[in-house]
Amino acid sequence: MTTAPRETTSPSSATPAIEVRHLTVSYGPVPALLDVSLSIPAGQLIGVIGPNGSGKSTLIKAILGFVRPVFGEVLIFGQPAERAKGRVAYVPQRGSVDWDFPVTVREVALMGRFGRVRWWREPSAEDYRAADEALEMVRMTPYRDRQIGQLSGGQQQRVFMARAMAQGADILLLDEPFSGVDAATERAILDVLERTKAGGRTLIVVHHDLATAAEYFDMIALVKQRLYAFGPTAAVLQADLLAEVYEGRLQAFAGLVRRGKEQSP
Amino acid sequence: MNEWFDGVLAWHATHSHLVRAMLAGVLVAMVCGVTGCYIILRRMAFLGDAIAHAMLAGVVAGYLLMKGVFGLEANAPGMLVGSLVAGFVTVALVGFVSRLSRIKEDTAIGIMYTGVFAAGGLLASLFSSYIHLDLLHFVTGNVLAVEMVDLWMIAGVATFVLLVVILLFRPLQITSFDPVMAASLGIPVAALDYLLTTCTSLVVVSAVNIVGVILVVGFLVTPAATAYLVCDRLSRMLVVSACFAVSSFVLGFLASAWINVAPGSAVVVTSTLQFLVVLVIAPRYGLLSDWLRRRGAVPQRIVEDVLGCVLRDGSTATPIATVQAHVASAADQVQKALRGLQREGLLVVAGDAVTLTEAGQHEARRLLRAHRLWETYLERLGTPLTKLHDHAHDLEHVHDENAVDYLDDQLGHPLVDPHGAAIPEDFVHLTPGAEVPAALLREGHEATVVALGEAARGLALEVGLRLVAGPRRQDGKVWTFRLPAGRDLELSHEQADAVLVRLAKS
Repeated sequence: MTTAPRETTSPSSATPAIEVRHLTVSYGPVPALLDVSLSIPAGQLIGVIGPNGSGKSTLIKAILGFVRPVFGEVLIFGQPAERAKGRVAYVPQRGSVDWDFPVTVREVALMGRFGRVRWWREPSAEDYRAADEALEMVRMTPYRDRQIGQLSGGQQQRVFMARAMAQGADILLLDEPFSGVDAATERAILDVLERTKAGGRTLIVVHHDLATAAEYFDMIALVKQRLYAFGPTAAVLQADLLAEVYEGRLQAFAGLVRRGKEQSP
Repeated sequence: MNEWFDGVLAWHATHSHLVRAMLAGVLVAMVCGVTGCYIILRRMAFLGDAIAHAMLAGVVAGYLLMKGVFGLEANAPGMLVGSLVAGFVTVALVGFVSRLSRIKEDTAIGIMYTGVFAAGGLLASLFSSYIHLDLLHFVTGNVLAVEMVDLWMIAGVATFVLLVVILLFRPLQITSFDPVMAASLGIPVAALDYLLTTCTSLVVVSAVNIVGVILVVGFLVTPAATAYLVCDRLSRMLVVSACFAVSSFVLGFLASAWINVAPGSAVVVTSTLQFLVVLVIAPRYGLLSDWLRRRGAVPQRIVEDVLGCVLRDGSTATPIATVQAHVASAADQVQKALRGLQREGLLVVAGDAVTLTEAGQHEARRLLRAHRLWETYLERLGTPLTKLHDHAHDLEHVHDENAVDYLDDQLGHPLVDPHGAAIPEDFVHLTPGAEVPAALLREGHEATVVALGEAARGLALEVGLRLVAGPRRQDGKVWTFRLPAGRDLELSHEQADAVLVRLAKS
């Protein structure tokens, strides 16, 4: 991985894309997220990993501004998440989409523009152009009049990437984009992610497969209720740390967090 | 001219109830068709049914209230408002129960609508001497009894619903399709949900006049489902659904007048027939086209048999007659398979003979490898030699890469099959520069050690060492390698699997 260490990217350069400060979210006595702080620099490909029920989706919701934290805040380019609607584009999990819905590829891409089009207005020529450009970028132009159910898994994922890009968001949030796709599709999706990143966007990917995490991401946030580590991939993916998060082995936790955060490649 | 106009007036004077019924029916059909699209896409059909039933309580309560307070008998606006209120109360109760308890929404609907419906029935029988209400009218509907006030109400509902659907097309589309994304854009998803439920209540209340409580769901859902079978975008589905609804109303209504039956039933039967016809003949999602498609497709196994046969033949150009003789299938199927393979660039048909392309060779060898591995597998299981080939012939069509890899590994990477024929090497993985376990190497392969696993500890190997694969020994159970400086190395299967090597680029 050719990632600059966090220390050189965040403090001096511009506002971080996402700043999470002491975030605690809870639906009862057991918090879903506990005192999570992290600062995600712009233009990076970030993996959020952790076991099932670890609070990954709560973190996603918090970044989208859907949950009201018990304490703490989420800032999107310095603005509270609730007021930054539309700056974060959400790419849903494949399983949560109704693929029989009567909607074409181009219409889905166009939905990215709905945040800007006044509800009673028709989308303008510019909106269509933005949608078409986004489709071109993910190489889906030849399929634009297809109904979305008539695409392969990788193509479906790319349509939603296009929608996020048409939205003009600087931050893309992807929910398990690699689940249930074959190796070739995985490659194709990763390729789109890389190119999107090259365009200066920040990508946050929820991911559960430890085996592939190392080669996909620049930085990883390891979450299980607390933030166990956030930093360059190699620093986070360490056997003892993962064992603790995934198998619940108790270890001196203060030291682990520090190590995860401070280690440079 | 005057005479004609007089004629129209005279007809209208005697048939005004027909005109009213027609007008009311067309309007209701239109909004039912449009609303129905959202109802089926959001899986709300049961909720529509519930609202229709809950209306009974509202109608009775409205009747009693207007009579008790204002002394008005069968006051239509009172009953209308009552039924709307009952619809909302039911929806609110359903939402309340399903959100605040572990009861799922469909169960909550089942509880609440029957409860409200029964309460209405209770009221009606308690005050049966007091109210003069034709409950049968309510249950089966009677479009011919539509009054002017109903028509006004229906026109109002139609205007409101159509305005909502047209003006809010995009927000409704996106919240129906992907509510999370919609919310992330700041679209008020919950407010739109309520609005759509309101529209549904309004539409249901007006449709009960036409087809009655029982059939309302059919009138809402069927035209929309019919449109769903022929449309790939929501905007068209809305229009097409409205057309189907209107046409089923008009046809059903005319038929009912013709053969003198209940109009509500005739309309819903027409709409169901319409659905069934479309289900069969729809161009893409219809049963007929599905059947034709399946019939047109050549079974994968015939295609694979053709490939295998051409490969085994081995000559530069295999006569089609040979292929035909070898593949036990109808001539037209074989022809179709050949055409399909040519389209995919796997083989070339020239005159009466076929030749495999490079891609075709690759695919055919992959199949051959699967076939011979399966034969080896069957033989290890003790399958009689005579049945070996037939079983393997079935099994070779299971040639998924992972499955074949697994088989190969389980069998200890065999070199020959039970008939003594060579099993092709694992050329899918064995590409120059690729990293593979040393167990996959065949005699003559050159490679460099990249990593050593647990089982390879303690061997005279280190990362970066160059090795050349030698012949296998002891029935293929021992791998031999030649190391630099003339050293030789023997590995078991487990050890060879634990040595990761990079194949030389030559």
